[in-house]
Amino acid sequence: MNILVGTLLIGVAAIWLWSRLPNAAWRAASYRAALDTLYFTSPRILVALLGAGFFAELLPEQQVRALLGRDAGLLAVGLAILLGPLTPGGAFVSFAIAAAALKAGAAPVPAIAYVTSWALFSTTKIFAYELAFMGRQLTLTRILVSLPVPFVVAALAAQLL
Amino acid sequence: MTLSLRNIEAEDPPAAKPRKVVDGGFLVLLAFTLAGGALVAVQYGVSRVGEITAETVWFIGLLSPKIASGIFIAATLPMLLPRDRVARWIGRESGVRGLVMATACGAALPGGPMMTFPLAAGLVGSGADLGATVAFVSGWSLLGLNRTLIWEFSFLPADLVWVRYLVCLPMPILLGIAARRLLRMRSP
Repeated sequence: MNILVGTLLIGVAAIWLWSRLPNAAWRAASYRAALDTLYFTSPRILVALLGAGFFAELLPEQQVRALLGRDAGLLAVGLAILLGPLTPGGAFVSFAIAAAALKAGAAPVPAIAYVTSWALFSTTKIFAYELAFMGRQLTLTRILVSLPVPFVVAALAAQLL
Repeated sequence: MTLSLRNIEAEDPPAAKPRKVVDGGFLVLLAFTLAGGALVAVQYGVSRVGEITAETVWFIGLLSPKIASGIFIAATLPMLLPRDRVARWIGRESGVRGLVMATACGAALPGGPMMTFPLAAGLVGSGADLGATVAFVSGWSLLGLNRTLIWEFSFLPADLVWVRYLVCLPMPILLGIAARRLLRMRSP
């Protein structure tokens, strides 16, 4: 169901964008760019999702439940926030790991804290791109003001879930 | 004011820029995956590796219409909506309105960090302040629609995704305000 709704929304956006291409030359260039992106992205998706699948299999359920389960409380949130930046790879890796942890018995609030912390502080993003393009001062400022966010998000999410 | 697409009837489409498919990041990912596969094979046998591989391929097949649409958008939108234009558009705004606009642009623009950070750097060059730049990067990080629709909803329970998105909604604007405050404190 989730997958269907997302597919429809993204599909409509793609068709609208296609309709904005003015002529055949632009359409051809757009197909070429899309194929290039597909060629770049698909091996990453395949390898990342396979890796996430293997990792999910290796997760020790007992430890996951003890460290990230409902009874672990604040400690679970803290640990989840620490693990976020250490996750290698793109968005699908962090979501796949969060899904595996939930299946193994992690509570929802640490999962949200983990995804939020990954989104803001992913070390791959910071070291490979942000420092290079934005410079040290801007990067540090952004990280500094963002530090409380995963904690605040976890606290608010705990009220809502 | 609206953000119109470029008047491109008369122009040629931009030339393609090829990217290296196998780079350092990919090799690290590959090493992790091979190590994970080897560990699963040792612990549960090679047949379990085959089962997980089959499940993964099936899942990718299920997601493939979404992935294909997302890839088309990520490849085509930057052609129609060039970087400098978005940067100028956000740079013109100021105050909280500028932060809201920057957040919305960050959330709406598809693509990975190799697209977002050059654009964010362009923002600074187009007169956007530090707050708008932080709001833009945070909007993309926390609220990126492409990522949430393609990946997050596919993996995580819907109520969890909704709660996270809702709670994160005001964050980029608050972070932009905090960044402005911090900058003012540092340089009075």
